[in-house]
Amino acid sequence: MREFKPLPAQPAPVKTQGAVAWLRDNLFYSPVSSIVTLFFAYFFIKYSIAMFDWALLSADWTGTTEKDCTSEGACWVFIKAWSQQFFYGSYIESEIWRINLSILLLLAVIVMSFTLPKNIRLKVTIPAFLLLPFICIAILDGRILGLTHVKTDLWGGFSLNVLMAAASIIVAFPFSFLWSLGRRSDMAFIRSVSIIFIEFFRGVPVLSLFFMGSVMLPLFFAEGTNVDKLIRVWIVLIFFMSGYMAEVFRGGFQAIPRGQYEAADSLGLGYWQKILLILLPQVIKVSMPNILATFVMLFKNTTFLLIIGIPELVQTLQTALSNSYWLGGHTLEGYLFVFAVFWASCFSMSLLSSHIERKLDTDNRN
Amino acid sequence: MSVIEQQANNDDIIVIKDLNKWYGNFHVLKDINLNVRKGERIVICGPSGSGKSTMIRCINRLEEFQKGSLVVNGVEMIDDVKNIEAIRKEVGMVFQHFNLFPHLTILENLTLGPIWVQKKPKDEAEATAMKYLERVKIPDQALKFPGQLSGGQQQRVAIARSLCMAPEIMLFDEPTSALDPEMIKEVLDVMIELAEEEGMTMLCVTHEMNFAKTVAHRVIFMDGGEIVEENTPNEFFENPETDRLQLFLSQIL
Amino acid sequence: MFKEKTTEEIQAASRIAGTSKGAVYNNPRYRAWFYQLAMMLGLLYFFYSIISNTLGNMEALGAKTGFSFLSAAAGYDVLMSLISFDATDTYARIFVVGFLNTVLVSVIGIFFATVFGFIFGVAHFSHNWLIRKVAITYVEIFRNIPLLLQVFFWYFAVLSALPGTRESLSLGEAFFLNVRGFYFPRLIGEGGSWVVYASIFVAIFGVFFLKHWAKKNQEKTGEQFPVFYTSLGILFGLPLFFALVTGFPFTIEYPVLKGFNYTGGITVIPELMALSLALSVYTGAFIAEAVRAGIQAVPHGQTEAARSLGLKENRVMSLIIVPQAMRVIVPLLNSEYQSLVKNSTLAAAIGYPDLFNVFVGTALNQTGQAIETIFMTVVVYFILNMIISFLMNRFNSSVALVTR
Repeated sequence: MREFKPLPAQPAPVKTQGAVAWLRDNLFYSPVSSIVTLFFAYFFIKYSIAMFDWALLSADWTGTTEKDCTSEGACWVFIKAWSQQFFYGSYIESEIWRINLSILLLLAVIVMSFTLPKNIRLKVTIPAFLLLPFICIAILDGRILGLTHVKTDLWGGFSLNVLMAAASIIVAFPFSFLWSLGRRSDMAFIRSVSIIFIEFFRGVPVLSLFFMGSVMLPLFFAEGTNVDKLIRVWIVLIFFMSGYMAEVFRGGFQAIPRGQYEAADSLGLGYWQKILLILLPQVIKVSMPNILATFVMLFKNTTFLLIIGIPELVQTLQTALSNSYWLGGHTLEGYLFVFAVFWASCFSMSLLSSHIERKLDTDNRN
Repeated sequence: MSVIEQQANNDDIIVIKDLNKWYGNFHVLKDINLNVRKGERIVICGPSGSGKSTMIRCINRLEEFQKGSLVVNGVEMIDDVKNIEAIRKEVGMVFQHFNLFPHLTILENLTLGPIWVQKKPKDEAEATAMKYLERVKIPDQALKFPGQLSGGQQQRVAIARSLCMAPEIMLFDEPTSALDPEMIKEVLDVMIELAEEEGMTMLCVTHEMNFAKTVAHRVIFMDGGEIVEENTPNEFFENPETDRLQLFLSQIL
Repeated sequence: MFKEKTTEEIQAASRIAGTSKGAVYNNPRYRAWFYQLAMMLGLLYFFYSIISNTLGNMEALGAKTGFSFLSAAAGYDVLMSLISFDATDTYARIFVVGFLNTVLVSVIGIFFATVFGFIFGVAHFSHNWLIRKVAITYVEIFRNIPLLLQVFFWYFAVLSALPGTRESLSLGEAFFLNVRGFYFPRLIGEGGSWVVYASIFVAIFGVFFLKHWAKKNQEKTGEQFPVFYTSLGILFGLPLFFALVTGFPFTIEYPVLKGFNYTGGITVIPELMALSLALSVYTGAFIAEAVRAGIQAVPHGQTEAARSLGLKENRVMSLIIVPQAMRVIVPLLNSEYQSLVKNSTLAAAIGYPDLFNVFVGTALNQTGQAIETIFMTVVVYFILNMIISFLMNRFNSSVALVTR
């Protein structure tokens, strides 16, 4: 019997790793590709140098007024001078800590929902989430807590975009869950009402909902009731979101294996026990990426509020750009800044969403 | 040119010389030398990761290699679209996961190649297709879609699809390992029939040792990216030359 | 024997328990009726209260109701109209003007969004690292910035930074771009122009015929006729040929600078440019993601099988990859197109006179009839979305897979 001795592995004759090989395989693998690469590289380098110079090297950073912008570059003084307006709107300056507190509370609850021990996580975070919007409103409004009353006309800026989006999706959560149950129901009437509701709020342009909220909704309340404009918009956003989220949950229900339903039934659980104890936790888990995606959509849509005259961030930017003390043409700086703010928030959420999706995928495979 | 002449003198249809392949820095195929005569049936086996699939996938250029030469039916495999197309027309391949086109009917799966590659009239292509569907014993499924067939049926369709191109060589890449046990036999039967009646040149990566004993002229054992041993089926199974093959056979038989 | 009897008995017993012995309020069927009745009553009360509140409120405000306002003169002009319109025309006509403008911007938006989406979606699979990165950057930037911000960016930052009328950017004294819009020449047909129009129809007809013939010819001889390029040739060549033969029976109306503005030719107002740019760039990013997902959903084995049959790379793409990718892409396209139409209401932000802007914006303000105007507008968006959905579902069923 011959003994088998494996041949030694040799290094590859053509370099397949390292910088040179990478450049060859990814940028210069054919004449056409080399031309394309050089073409793109030329424009990229040309414009990024100009951009770098404009935005950083010859930009103005210090000062407080238009006069401090003397150079050719970007006038970041403009952003600095308006930054408080951009983030907090016209909220009374001495009371801004209340906005910060609200945002901190929101962040705290979000962090809790990822870090608490699993056995109490849902039991604590769901009530915390549901109470949060009302606590925040109490803090921001101030009357109930005996603080200075800040009228909603003064609320604005990026914090309004964030809090409005969060408050809407949170309150929409239980409603959308009920609508999605309704849509899955065996009862014909409940099912049809749910379908009509969901499809109405998904099919109508958001802007027309805002107009309904600001023009039609006051007509629906009994005479003499005066509901704050911001509250009306909030109600509209809740309805809008619950239509979209209902469909997200419906997808979640469908993603749960049939066996889970059968197992729950065979344990003799009642309908609500089955839904709340067995299905809800799983539905929330599998729907998480889509919930985040829907939230990003809602968050972007909060900019639409400016059309009915609510001073969220984009509206504040418009105000700043047309301010008579700042007519030096800071359009580009202003837009770049607001782009950056929204982009950073939306992009990080979409990264988080795809991270969760990948995690769910691996969980399912194991 | 010299390679082609040399090849024309004997009747080797595939000539693999000093073939080497790397994935990054990983040396997957080491100095492979293999000549296949026309009409010869070869079974290739070996542990997973031994490079057996990679080797037969080099033959129709589903994998590139970095060193060595490969001549198929007189055409040398070089970086030239014309050569690659010429070789692929002569080489049929059957995959582990069938790879039928799910958006086309069975009949359309079979006529796709003849119509678009061989430029045959549709009627003629369909007649050929039906002939081969009868060969693999499923003519009544012609108008169904792949998703409506069982695994065994799909693999038989995949074999028929390759046959429709009238290839000189058939490559089988683990054709039965994704099938349920009761379906393996129906596919193997079709392959045995094909071997015995058509005299087709076949290279088959498989662990079906009974199939190897029945049809193969030669059995090849690969490990670690090299050909460890090749022999007639009798010698291969009765008198393994190396300890490595003996170990392998003791594990699978 | 003994065993069978027991099971029968048990079954019988349980049947009895299910029907006569159970309490009525525990019977699932009665419960269902009860829930539905409760929901119906709840809804009835809800609608009753909002309707009576609304009627009461409107009476208090002295607001008019009904659709009679539609035949009244609107009394205001719109920025852009595809049909003739002036201030003496009715609200009904302004509704049509707005509707046509909405359709116009939606069609332009859908067209370019699809083009951008497919280009950047396919570019994601380029062998060239730079092209891949450009595609990813496009998608990640534009879908993560609110659409309204993009509309404003194009309108206030880009288009309003264009030169004034007298310093217009021009191409061959025929195309002009300035802060007031984009101007290009218009063809006006003369006496013999009907021949050219007719030839366009003939060319379209010819292409259908050619396609049919090529199929039949393939079935007979096996030859593949280059239908695509020949069709392109016919579509452009035939009208051009007849135009030359008849001595070009058209006058070209060039935009000309008169006073402070260009007249003649066709004008694209900056509002339309900004809105359609923003819509197509934004939606294009989402479509690019859909295209990427669609192509990624086709297993690599499909490509390998097609290649091993000897198919050329472009045929692998057109016969195997694209048809399979489409079944993932089409449903996503459907929803992207629908959101594009809904998002076109952002016209209100920059004053493009789309349906929403002229009707819910201006007409509501002028007449005060909120319910009627909003209702009419919303119905139009529903109908537009239903049309898109219908067409895309037809398309989808032609690309869907048959299994089992």
